This record gives sequence, C-alpha cells and structure tokens, in this order.
Amino acid sequence: MKNLLVIRDLSKTFPGQVALDNVDITLGAGRTHALIGQNGSGKSTLIKILAGYHQPDAGSRAELDGSTLALGDGPAAAAAGVRFVHQDLGLVDSLDAVENISMGVGYTTKRGGRIDWAADKQRARDGLDLLGFDDVDVSVPVGALAPSQKTAVALARALHGWEESAKLLVLDEPTASLPGDDVERLFAAIRRLKERGVAIMYVSHHLDEVFEIADDVSVLRDGQRVTTLPTADLDHEALIELMIGHKLERSSMGSSASSEGVAGLEVSGLTGGTIHGVDLVVRPGEIVGIAGITGSGRELIAPYITGQIPSDEGSVAVFGTQIPNYDPRAAMDAGMAFVPADRATLGVLPLSSVGDNLTIADLWRNWRGGRLRHAEEKVECADWVKRLSIKTASIEVPIGALSGGNQQKVLFGRSLRLSPTVLVLDEPTSGIDVGAKDQILGLIDAAAQDGTAVLAVSTDTDELVQISHRILVMVEGIIIDELSGDDMTTENVERSLLQTLKAAGR
Amino acid sequence: MTSTISDVTNEGVGDEPDSSGSHDQPSSLGSLVSKLGLNRFSGLYLLAGFFIFFGLTESNFLQWNGSIEFVLTDKVIVSMLALAFLVPLITETFDLSIGATMALSLVIVNKMALETDLPDWIGAVVGMGACLVIGAINGLIVVKLKVNSFIATLGMSQVIAALILRIHDGGNITGALGDGYIEFGKRNVFSFSWPGSGSEISLPYYFFFGLIVAVIIWYILEHTPIGRQMFATGGNREAARLSGVNVDRLSWSSLIVSAGIAGFAGLIYSWKFAVYTSSVGPPLLFTAVGAVFFGASQLRGRPNVWGTIIAVYTLAFGIKGIGLRYPREISWIQPLFEGLVLIVAVAVASRQAIVKVARRRSDTAPPPTDEQVAAAAAIAEGTGKAARS
Repeated sequence: MKNLLVIRDLSKTFPGQVALDNVDITLGAGRTHALIGQNGSGKSTLIKILAGYHQPDAGSRAELDGSTLALGDGPAAAAAGVRFVHQDLGLVDSLDAVENISMGVGYTTKRGGRIDWAADKQRARDGLDLLGFDDVDVSVPVGALAPSQKTAVALARALHGWEESAKLLVLDEPTASLPGDDVERLFAAIRRLKERGVAIMYVSHHLDEVFEIADDVSVLRDGQRVTTLPTADLDHEALIELMIGHKLERSSMGSSASSEGVAGLEVSGLTGGTIHGVDLVVRPGEIVGIAGITGSGRELIAPYITGQIPSDEGSVAVFGTQIPNYDPRAAMDAGMAFVPADRATLGVLPLSSVGDNLTIADLWRNWRGGRLRHAEEKVECADWVKRLSIKTASIEVPIGALSGGNQQKVLFGRSLRLSPTVLVLDEPTSGIDVGAKDQILGLIDAAAQDGTAVLAVSTDTDELVQISHRILVMVEGIIIDELSGDDMTTENVERSLLQTLKAAGR
Repeated sequence: MTSTISDVTNEGVGDEPDSSGSHDQPSSLGSLVSKLGLNRFSGLYLLAGFFIFFGLTESNFLQWNGSIEFVLTDKVIVSMLALAFLVPLITETFDLSIGATMALSLVIVNKMALETDLPDWIGAVVGMGACLVIGAINGLIVVKLKVNSFIATLGMSQVIAALILRIHDGGNITGALGDGYIEFGKRNVFSFSWPGSGSEISLPYYFFFGLIVAVIIWYILEHTPIGRQMFATGGNREAARLSGVNVDRLSWSSLIVSAGIAGFAGLIYSWKFAVYTSSVGPPLLFTAVGAVFFGASQLRGRPNVWGTIIAVYTLAFGIKGIGLRYPREISWIQPLFEGLVLIVAVAVASRQAIVKVARRRSDTAPPPTDEQVAAAAAIAEGTGKAARS
C-alpha cells in the first residue's frame, strides 16, 4: 500500500495541557481513513493543524505524497492538495450554489472584469454532477436545499480543480447535520470520489458510519493515537472500548413499567406536516422510543407534542389534562418538560450563565418577598451541576463555553428541575461524545425509574434499543410498527423501517 | 485639545493589550487589570480621571453651580432616553422612536397649557397617555405584524414627527406652563451652603424622579423573574419561548415602557426648561444609544442600568471639562469625543467577551473542541452584533 500522508511526532501543547502527544498517523493513498475519538481526544486539534488554524509544536513532521508538508500552514496545505469540508460547511444560505462555489474558488471573469455567470454556472453543475448530485438546482439559495445537497455544494467547492491538485479530502463531521437517508447520498458521493483516487480523512462521532465508509480507522484518546486498524478487523464494541479505554456498561437500563394503568402522555389523532394521525400512549415509568427515517414525520413528533410548532389537528394530554396547541408554557404547566432537538437554536441561551440557563423555565420558585433570592438560586444550581456531573468551572460561566455534552446536561437539568410527569426528548444525544452520552442515557433511565413517562425520539437506533421499553416505528406519517421485549433489536427496528417502506411501494 | 482626546483614546486602548495578555498566559499585568477592575469599571476610572485632570487644570470645573449641578441635572433627560432605549434592547428589540416620543409629550403639555384653561398636570397626563399609545402601536407593529423593530420604530419616528407638526406647526412655545407646574418638578429637594464657599448645594425634584425611574428599572431587570426572562428573550428568543417565557408579551410591554420613559423625559424637560422647541428630542438619540452600548461594557458585561448612567455622566463630565478648556472648539470636539468613546468602549468589550470564553475554556476543559471555539466566536459575534446595531 502506497502512503499518501505520513504524520510523525505531531505534538501540540496548549497552555496547561497537551492536546496532541507525539501522534504518528499514516494514510494510504486512495483509502478512506476514519479518525475517531471522544471530544477532547485531539482529533479536532489535528484537523486544525492540518488546516493551518493551529501551529504544531517543534519537531512535528509530515509528508504528503513523498514531499515535505509544512504543518500549521493553511496555504501550503491547500497548494499541496489537501482540501477541507468543515462541520459547519461555511456556505452563505442566501446565495445560490453557483455563487457559493465561485466565492470560494474565484469568479470566472470576462473582459472588463465582468463575471462570466454562464461559465460559473456550468462549473457548479459539473462539480455537483461529479458527486452524483445532478438534481441540485444551482440557482436557488442554498438555504432552500436539502441538507445533503448543501453538503454536496460544500464538497463541490472543496473539490474544485481536484483532478489537477487535490490529493486528500478532509471531512470533519460531515453528517452532523444530516438526517439518516441524506447520509446515504453523501456516502455515495464519497465512494465516487474514492473510485477516482481521492484519499479521504473522515472525522466522525458516528461509529456506524465509520464501519460503513472507512477502510482504516485511527483512534485517538487523550491526545495519543491508540491504534490504527483496518475497519474489517474491528467491531462496534471493540471500537467503543478503544475510544473510551474501558468496556461500556450496557443494558443496566430498563426499569420495569406497568404495561397497564393510567396514561402519562396520551396523543391522539395528531396531524400536521408529514404526520397523518398519530396515536400513542406513554405510561408513567415507561420509556417509549420513536424511530423513523427522515421525512417519516419522526422529526415533527416532539415539536408538535410539546407545542414548539402548531399542529393542524389532534389532542395531547398529560395525565388527562388537555394541552392547547402551540403553547409550550401550558404544556409545562401541565407537567410536561422537554429537551428540543436543536440544542444551539432552540435550547441554550448562549450568553447567559450556566445557572441562568438552568433556572429559566421556572424562576418564580426563588421569588419571595418581592425579589429573586440569588443566593438560594445559586445553591440550587450548584446542586444540579453536581447531580448531573456537569463539567464547568462555576455556574457563572456562560454556557457557550461548555462542551456540547455538558450543554445538553444543562438543558436536561432545566427540564428535570421542573419535576416533570412527562418528559419528551428529541435527539437527546446528538452531537455529543460517548462518555456524556452514557451519562445522559443514565439520566433518562433514572427519570423513568422515578415514574416519569418518557418519550424519546432519535435517529440513533442503538440508543433507542438500549433505553426503551417499547419502540414505535414511523413510516410516512403514521406509526406502523411497535416493537418490545426480545423483538426490540437494532436489526429488527431498522428492518421494520425498510420493509414497511417497500411494502408501501417505494 | 488633541492631547486630551488622545489621552482618552489611549486609556481605552490601554485595556486591550492587557486583557489579551491574560488570554495566552495569565500575566501579572493581566491580573492587575482585573484586580483593579479596569475591564469592568473603565467608565468610572475615566470619570475619576476627568475630575482629577480638569479639577486641577480648570478652576471652574469643580464649581457646583454652572458645572457639576449643571451636568447632573442637564443629563437626567439623556439618561431617561438611554433607559428608554435600554429596556427593549434587552429583549433584542430596538426603539428608535424614543427621541420623537419625548418631543411628543413635551409638545402636548406645552400646547395644552397654551391653548386651554385646563390645569397643566392634565396636559402632562395626556402627553404621557399619548406616548403610551405610541408604545402600544410600536408593539403591535413589531409583535403582531412582525415588522423588524429597527424599521418599525424608525418609521414611527417620522409618523410622530408629523403628528407633532400637526399639533404645533413650528416655532417655540415659551411661558405657557404655569409656575405651579414648573415648581412641582423644579423645586429643590435639599439646599445647603458648602462650608467655606458661597455656593449653594441643591438638587431639584426632577433629578430624583429620574433616579427613582432608574432604580425601578434596575430592580426589575436584575431582581425579578421578569428581568431574567427579558435577558433570556434577548439571548435566544426561541429557546426562551420554549422555556415557557412569553416573549411576545415581553417585547410588547418593553416597547410600552420604553415610550413611557421617553414621554417622562419630555416632562422632565418641561420642568427644567419650561419651553417647547422643535429641535428637542430626536437629536438626543445618538447620545442616548451610545451611552447604552458604552454602558454595556461596564459592570456586568451586558446592557445594564448603572453602566448606562455611568456612561452618560462620564461622557457629560468629559465634554464639560473639554468645553471649559477649549471653549471655542467644543462644538466639533463634542461629537468626535462621543463617537470615539463609543467605538473604543465597545471594541474593548467585544475583545473581553472573546478572551473571557477562551480563558475559561483553558481553565475547565481539556483541549479545545470545535464546539467551544465556535461558542467563543458566537459570543464575540453576539457582542459585536449588539454593538453594531
């Protein structure tokens, strides 16, 4: 196997901490190499050094295709043929694909400096065709495109002129914002590129994706490379073990819930968007999972139930109390708490402190004698930080300074603090690392043990199987299947999604 | 004159390398800066600097009458307008109609005194009522019609200007208000002679009316759930709504409160000067808005009442001192000074927000992750965003 990128003795020391410690990594030409590790393992730092955002420590060396590559030098990396697509894509939503691509790679100009729009448009078309995205309308604002199409636009921009120069494509969490079936399209594009000889460095939290797309995998832990192995020699459990350094405690979950009895959460005839009449019941102490591919209505279930967006029809009741449509406050007053899917836009108050973020949903608790009792509030927040093991210097720190997993724990704290009787969770562990994920799943289980009725919506089937008592499968806007007990396995759930789709004639 | 301005500029800029020094490794200089509170109390230090410098160089600067008393009472009006801008700003709503709203209450109270035999206080009540209606209409346009508050209130500002011209077509109104009405706001709360000098120390009622308004707003913002909810609304409107905060009601009522405070600024003007002039109101907007953003860099690192008040008076005493020192140039120095102080203060504050997150990041977490870097950028952008607008 020919080596494309060879990194030797790569170290990076930040004041007071070692982010990378003599890391050696070798990427084979024409292969897809996954780089995985928990948050803080150093993989982001490595990518940033490649991209020229950080300077490595002295003594770090790298070779690309036989010649020396200067680390920590963005223009040099670009000239040597290393291309990047970062997690946030860096697209301007209000501009179309043509302009987004031209902005990145330079406009084609005619005499007098006029932009040759026809040429630029053709270039955008060609770039997208190459990736198998010939259905992208290059003249609508990219904000109106599907998430996978946006990723394709970013890919096309990064790969412009790749035949002459691009040797390595670095994809940093490319699927973080992609719904399930869009991931498949992206993978198809990646495979096309691979066939054409582009080596890919693939950074991800999603281990399933690693197994699907990567030839080799390198695991980083605490700034050191633990191992590099062909993906074929690994399985899921082994990989997790390598990442976190110990065996993951599994299946401690599963409190016993009475299958009969009063309904904690009762939804009937819920209709709106892609959902056509959903009925479901969650009993106290029960965790019910909802699975479904994107477009099945799965992503709308929690927003409708919790009143984030207005539904067309249907009723939602919490222990018999009807909740008015599109009224989160009323839902909370009735005993429902929820953690929304999009932590950054729907969850955190970015400039406010951890404490203010915890207490915002119920401030009146510490209001006595005509003023907020700040001292009592602090004691309460400190207690929550301890109980949820939130890693933060203090409760005064702006929540934006915390890692994703810790932000999510704060949002859980905000909900659990309301002592809810019904808890609705939408993608509770999206974009957080394995360790924090475990803790959050533990919190969900603990809430159910305390008698809360929990509804968990997730694209992560493994996670649903791990925590749920029952899983409801959504296909084309209705609940088509219910799995529980021994039938409730990852395979069965995923087969259920696909088989019913085929049965529906797609 | 240039030396004074560059002193001011240097003082502000001087914070910057210090705080950035503590970003990379906590230097003794950096910790000195935070120990002295230069980052959070730069306005107070600047104010003290003005008092020392102009107190020593200008014999008239420390005079009560005509200097200190003049600035204290004159700037009550700008302070009120600044607070009127501050309240909706906290919910990320802009009210640019406050200057016109102030003029509206002023013209109504004067015009009614001029044209009717009704007692002046009825004119004051009608003026305040009109302002509250304006605020309610602003709220309706912003919350129900979903027009961007910046545009809605800019438009409303012109509408009010038209309304004012319909009420009173140009020219000043002087001498219309009765002595009893003026005396109500203008009489002194206390009065005593400064030992050793002949000057009489006194402050009028309207100064304390303004102070009471400031205390009430401070209390609501910092010590009630309503205030916390307002900050949450400004921070992330949708997240606040999903946490059960009635964000629309908060925006709406903050616009009504804003118009009310602006109207009250008009009444204070009527007590202080007892006239209506067509040039009053909107020209004060820049100073008021500038003070709010300057004030946001003070004390709390976010828009706040006392930071705003400190900003108003720091600027005012600075201008007073410069005016005494360079009486002929003050007309052009004043806007230059106000503009520069605003820019420097906000630049320093934006920088602090980045540094704060970056420093905490290295304190708490292992190697910085994408999310944290993005968060730092987002916070910096947030500060910048507030400042730009």
